[in-house]
Amino acid sequence: MPEGRILDSNSLAERLIAKPELGPLILLIIEIGVFWSINHDFLSAANISNTLAFTVELGLIALAMTLLMTSGEFDLSVGSVFGFSPVLMWTLYNGGVTSLEVGFLAALVAAGVIGAVNGRFVTQLRIPSFLVTLGMLLVVRGTALFITDGFPQRTWSAEGSWLADILVGDFFVGPFRIYASLFWFIAAVLVLGYLLTGSRFGNWVQAAGGNANAARARGVKVNSVKVRLFILSSMMAAFAGVISSLRTSAANPNSGTGYELEVIAMVVIGGTALTGGRGTIIGTVLGILILRVMRNGIVLVGVPGLAYNIFIGAIILGMMALHSWLERRHQAGT
Amino acid sequence: MAEPLIRMVNIRKSYGRVQALVDANFHVAEREIVGLLGDNGAGKSTLIKVLSGAVPLTSGEIYIRGKRVELKSTGDAIKHGIETIYQDSALVTQLSIARNLFLGREPLKGPRFLNRMDHETMNSVAAELLREVGITKNIPPTTPIGSLSGGERQAVAIARAMHFDSDLIILDEPTNNLGVAETQGVLSFVRNARDSGHSCIFIAHNIHHVFQVVDRIVVMRRGKVVADDIDPKKSTVEAVERVITGMSEHEIKAAVS
Repeated sequence: MPEGRILDSNSLAERLIAKPELGPLILLIIEIGVFWSINHDFLSAANISNTLAFTVELGLIALAMTLLMTSGEFDLSVGSVFGFSPVLMWTLYNGGVTSLEVGFLAALVAAGVIGAVNGRFVTQLRIPSFLVTLGMLLVVRGTALFITDGFPQRTWSAEGSWLADILVGDFFVGPFRIYASLFWFIAAVLVLGYLLTGSRFGNWVQAAGGNANAARARGVKVNSVKVRLFILSSMMAAFAGVISSLRTSAANPNSGTGYELEVIAMVVIGGTALTGGRGTIIGTVLGILILRVMRNGIVLVGVPGLAYNIFIGAIILGMMALHSWLERRHQAGT
Repeated sequence: MAEPLIRMVNIRKSYGRVQALVDANFHVAEREIVGLLGDNGAGKSTLIKVLSGAVPLTSGEIYIRGKRVELKSTGDAIKHGIETIYQDSALVTQLSIARNLFLGREPLKGPRFLNRMDHETMNSVAAELLREVGITKNIPPTTPIGSLSGGERQAVAIARAMHFDSDLIILDEPTNNLGVAETQGVLSFVRNARDSGHSCIFIAHNIHHVFQVVDRIVVMRRGKVVADDIDPKKSTVEAVERVITGMSEHEIKAAVS
């Protein structure tokens, strides 16, 4: 349910300006407009289909990260879990240890354990999540490289497997090629959006990030909330990794490198506070689209791909300045 | 004498070699506002932390309506109807008034597995509570705490304690950093709380504020309660100041009688 952000605001314009999602929405519209005016192929069915396929894979991680960051923590190990999980699944399958489906479940459970360890270290030992998850990134990436000797895993074309069908099966709607992963993404948006703003758990997540001591004093189990979100973020990274692996028929121990920073950038561009307490799933969806559209559009309009990071960095700095300005207005109660 | 709401008997608390509380005795009656005064380091905060379950006592006994209780955590204290409002740490500034009021005890609706918060109930109860506690300005319950003034934040915290039927509301420096009008507002919230059946412990450095609102003044010095029955109507600010800064028992008796 949307909540009024301003004390005495009656005007629709003031309410809109106070929304953290407004800035990202305008940026996305401008981005799409600029790319389309330079190259009309930007909005072609083929290009939209391609962009969406990869977008939702990173997007799944960003959605879970939104909740984790709202609770005041973040997870740098998601990129390595993204690479490790399909490697584990294919290794189990290729070694004849399990079926592909059981291997998939094993990968999810392993990710859950990784998340639980992250959460325990952060909440029980009170080590900042930056250090804990940086350490975990190295452990998980190292494990993936070690068990594969650094080589990509043998993958067969997963066609025909029901697991592949429900995760990445594709079909055409008119000229658009739609992957099943899009529906998983939409489901995650609905469920996590509801969880954050509509459920009691969401209130605890926001309170844990806003003022953990006040939340504890009210009987909220802050540590348990955070551990559960670390588990969610890790399992979502595993889920996204497996989807990506099945779609591309590849399982490279190095895949997902650097994704953690891109995912965190998506979340903060969308308006979730890095310091916790305030988060928005809609904003994250916009943040995901802004970065992926930028990556795709830059190439289409002929800017060298190597210049991509310049634009991403500029967007992050610009959006942070905007959010900080809105936050100060908000705190001042104007 | 009827059994008081809270009775603390021979409370000792030491941090290593430092004796923060030395056989402190303290009580609060039903529907009573007690002003707890003392210089820095006198032991007020420690006494309150013991009573709110934030720190364990070294020895001594706590009774609630004559029944002995163990307060091992703030959760224990809340269960026993003791609510402590610390100046800055009580509320989550990013959350709305209604979300703060019900934090940890959010009403649910619909099927249980959905864990769905009942926003309508929360907002309507919050609006009602804001009126009850004495906020006359029309503030929507969906307003984030960050947009409220210091006095209004205190009001929200007090309203929350009243709504969840806390028998004892402990206010730690509620008038610090507040303007004159805001302070008067907070003092009237405290009176409203008493009038609706709650007891309060009011801790403040500003003795004038304490005099305006409390029924009885208790003074601590060096970990002991040195005066526990000062009637603000019969005493003066100067006399109480002398007790706080330290005098012989003879001088205290002369000053407060």
